[in-house]
Amino acid sequence: MLSWLVPQASTSARDIDWLFTLILVTVGFWFVVAQAALFTLIFRFRRRPDVAAAYISGERKEEKRWISRPHALVIVCDIVLIAGALLTWKAVKQDLPPADERVRIIAQQWAWVFVHPGPDGKLDTDDDVRTVNDLRVKIDTTYHFELTSRDVVHSFSVPAFRLKQDAVPGRIVTGWFRPTRLGTYDIQCAEICGIGHALMPARLTVETPAEQAAWYASRSAQGG
Amino acid sequence: MVGVWLERRNPARGSRWGGVNRAASALLLAATAVWTKPAATCADLLARGRELYVLCSSCHGDRGQGDRQRSAPAIGGLPQWYVEAQLHKFLAGERGYHPDDVTGLQMRPMAQAVHRGDDLQAVAAYVASLRPQPWPRTQHSGDTTRGQTLYATCIACHGADGKGNEALKAPRLAGQADWYLIDQLKKFRSGQRGAAPGDAMGAQMRAMVNVLPDDNAIADVVAYISSLRP
Ligand code: HEC
Ligand code: HEC
Ligand SMILES: [Cu+2]
Repeated sequence: MLSWLVPQASTSARDIDWLFTLILVTVGFWFVVAQAALFTLIFRFRRRPDVAAAYISGERKEEKRWISRPHALVIVCDIVLIAGALLTWKAVKQDLPPADERVRIIAQQWAWVFVHPGPDGKLDTDDDVRTVNDLRVKIDTTYHFELTSRDVVHSFSVPAFRLKQDAVPGRIVTGWFRPTRLGTYDIQCAEICGIGHALMPARLTVETPAEQAAWYASRSAQGG
Repeated sequence: MVGVWLERRNPARGSRWGGVNRAASALLLAATAVWTKPAATCADLLARGRELYVLCSSCHGDRGQGDRQRSAPAIGGLPQWYVEAQLHKFLAGERGYHPDDVTGLQMRPMAQAVHRGDDLQAVAAYVASLRPQPWPRTQHSGDTTRGQTLYATCIACHGADGKGNEALKAPRLAGQADWYLIDQLKKFRSGQRGAAPGDAMGAQMRAMVNVLPDDNAIADVVAYISSLRP
């Protein structure tokens, strides 16, 4: 449902949107039911001539049921939602599916440096391609990223991937994503990092392996 | 203003001068309108530039004196054409484009902050209106005498006094911080500056660092430049 607003471009986006929908439907359904009951009762027991209002203390069994049954229901729904959240957490954060390729992401005030593995698919070789504010990945490929920062805490946020991960200087944070949709998406810094924080956007392009090979070739033709 | 003043005095002077004075005041009004208009927009531009400069001052200092802690050079009093040209380069990705150019990447988004309308021109005009704040020497390893010999190549563009040359688009170097000049010369050498396609002026300067074979030569020529005053 969220994908109507933000494109869904990775497997994690699918998992997170599933959780979002689960919460929205569960909570939304009972919200509508509760409001309907409330307004029906208000209408049904509205003021009438010659009918005195009754004082209901809520101590009789059939009165208390109005509280205890929804209460039990809320707990059941909560358990379902927590179970859903744990499943999603496991799929998105706990599991680390084997990598097809790796990229390195280096945040600094106020730019993103991306190290692409190059045609050989391996980091730290001569054909690595480094770019500023321009990340290119292949569709249906599992990437591990190594995220780090040169100065202060930044946060690597890709709304279309439903991915947000802090970059901490002195630490290498490993995470993963698997793009599922071609296109160009926004990357933004999601942690206030100084005067240029708002001016720290970057582009993420999900392309076919052929497009990526052509891009690598054009880079090496330019000599870098 | 002048026109109004003439009009007021007219009745007392009699009718003979009335027509002449009215014509003169109309002329004067027209003339002042023509003269003051460019002056007014120029002042507007400076006022706008001063507002925009608040952002820049957090690194370059309130008088454009530069700040070593932030690696920000002295920019106060640099000519408007040079400031504009550099801001355009930062915008176009012709400067601050290299993944290793940490300080250039810090400056780049700041140019994006002034890309709207004539903001860029306004802030450049304001920077140019500031008084240059010459830096004292901070690096003491360079040999000024050797530096003077090396500087002979640079004279053609930057001038014997290091004041720069607009026709050749070469900036003033005199008074600039020595740590910044060393840094920039190393960036030209490594291709972190002046190697972007389209940066013709940067490419010219990049070719010139070849006369400075090593870090010592860079330190020497900068030591000499630091002895020049703006
Ligand atoms: C975050 C700190 C910061 C801010 C804010 C900042 N600058 Fe800079 N600026 C720098 C740094 C660092 C450099 C040196 C870049 C390099 O090493 O190549 C620089 C370089 C420059 C240069 C090039 C000077 C030369 O001699 O070539 C100009 C011009 C300039 N800045 C103008 C501005 C203007 C105008 C603003 C305000 C809109 C501004 N800067 C805001 C940090 C900053
Ligand atoms: C052919 C003309 C030419 C010669 C000769 C030349 N330069 Fe330059 N220099 C330039 C130009 C043009 C620029 C501005 C580059 C730009 O627009 O980015 C420049 C920029 C510089 C800068 C950067 C200044 C700043 O504020 O960022 C330094 C430092 C510099 N030159 C030093 C030297 C030294 C030292 C020599 C002699 C070894 C030299 N130049 C010789 C044309 C020249
Ligand atoms: Cu940031």
